[in-house]
Amino acid sequence: MLHGLSSSPLEMRFLARHLNNEGFTAFAPVLDGYSAGTSERDMQAWIDAAVREFDALAKRYARVSVCGLSVGAALALAVVNQRPTAHAVVLLSVTLSYDGWAIPWYRFLLGWAYYTPMRSRWRYREASPFGLRNEALRAKIARAMQRNGISEVGPSTISLPALREASRLAARVRTRLANIATDCLIIHAIDDETANPRNAHYVASKIASPFLRTIYLDDSYHMITSDNEREIVAGETAAFLRESEAARGIGSGAESQVVSKALARRLRQLAALGN
Amino acid sequence: MPGALFCVAAALIEYFFGLGPALTVMLVGLVIADYLFVPPYADFSVFDRRDVMLLVSYPSLTIFVISLIERLRRAQFRAELFASVAKSRYEMLLRADNNRALRLRTIDETHRLLRHLPHYHDTIILIQALDRKASLRPDAQHVTGNANTLPHTSAPGSRFSSVHPVDAARLQNTLSPGSHRLRIKSGEHHYKPVDCVGERFTTHAGDFLVLRIGD
Repeated sequence: MLHGLSSSPLEMRFLARHLNNEGFTAFAPVLDGYSAGTSERDMQAWIDAAVREFDALAKRYARVSVCGLSVGAALALAVVNQRPTAHAVVLLSVTLSYDGWAIPWYRFLLGWAYYTPMRSRWRYREASPFGLRNEALRAKIARAMQRNGISEVGPSTISLPALREASRLAARVRTRLANIATDCLIIHAIDDETANPRNAHYVASKIASPFLRTIYLDDSYHMITSDNEREIVAGETAAFLRESEAARGIGSGAESQVVSKALARRLRQLAALGN
Repeated sequence: MPGALFCVAAALIEYFFGLGPALTVMLVGLVIADYLFVPPYADFSVFDRRDVMLLVSYPSLTIFVISLIERLRRAQFRAELFASVAKSRYEMLLRADNNRALRLRTIDETHRLLRHLPHYHDTIILIQALDRKASLRPDAQHVTGNANTLPHTSAPGSRFSSVHPVDAARLQNTLSPGSHRLRIKSGEHHYKPVDCVGERFTTHAGDFLVLRIGD
């Protein structure tokens, strides 16, 4: 489970707990050069660190799936591109470009600012709504941000080089999407203030997964693992991982049997659309 | 009015490609219209009342049309997003409904098994759990090597002891739903072939197969 840019595995806490209760082993690593509190490094170092963690898990477990939130989702795509043996990939609020409604129109200037002395001085400051639609949670996060500089949903500031590396990572992932054929679940909020749902559309249209499911939420912002619909995100992730197992003939398959006639009809419709 | 066709062109571009290209087309159209269609033709050096007319009327009308179409495009994009949310919700609902149907079925089967067991209690030969993880007799796990003892996934019924030992050994490997013919003890040393029935029950605790003497 890969968290967002310069953030911490705390973001994934709710999802990890749910998956653990459902009988999965969840592991959210701290990646050197990517997570908060480590010295910043370039995006190749992020990918290498994530692939190392993947290999370590693949030695211990028969099936390893990769899940990512925000820029972590782009990183997850880069990991499954290098390791096609991954069982499934789950992309939560996938961020290939920062184009949500809370991002100012002059954001493109940041790309140029990197080449000026502002590079090391200026930091992108997270502001309300912090990716949260839930107002009680937002108030709590705002207090935590002021006090500690970091919260469950990320740091209070992100440095310019980190943002630039994220853009480079996204550019690389865009070119490799057509090579990825791992089972894929995309969950995105339509009111995402950081990454427009077009990001999810783009990935869904380019990726070559045989088993692809896209779910749109309408009561969350960017941090869908902590916001109003976190239960839906967790439930659907667990259900998708089980169905992906059953589709490959692993497990008893009892959970993914289709008895409802309406569901069977809908699946036939989707299959007809896909052909 | 020299700008009319350029206004239509900009509106069409807005409809199909969006705001940025439409504004570009409008500006390019303004220059072309002024250069080619405002007298004196093919000359920028003269600036008079007709140029001012074009500079005021053409951009204001075009921007008005473009902004109306842009509003509609945004509303359409928003509606498509809501439609995709509705679709996701409907699919989640169908999956939840499917799960509910599965649970209902297992509950029904559990009830059927519960009624079945006391009703045929005296004729049951063997109960077997088909799920490998399920264990009917956790205490029997370490004695599976012996041919005469049952594996931990099976439990003997009240008539198990009267089945011919060869048939009993065969049952452990090849038990399937449907009718079977087994030799059952009828006297001191006599065995008689009897029709038996194997029934499968899919319960929430796993699948079970109950073998009993037929009616």
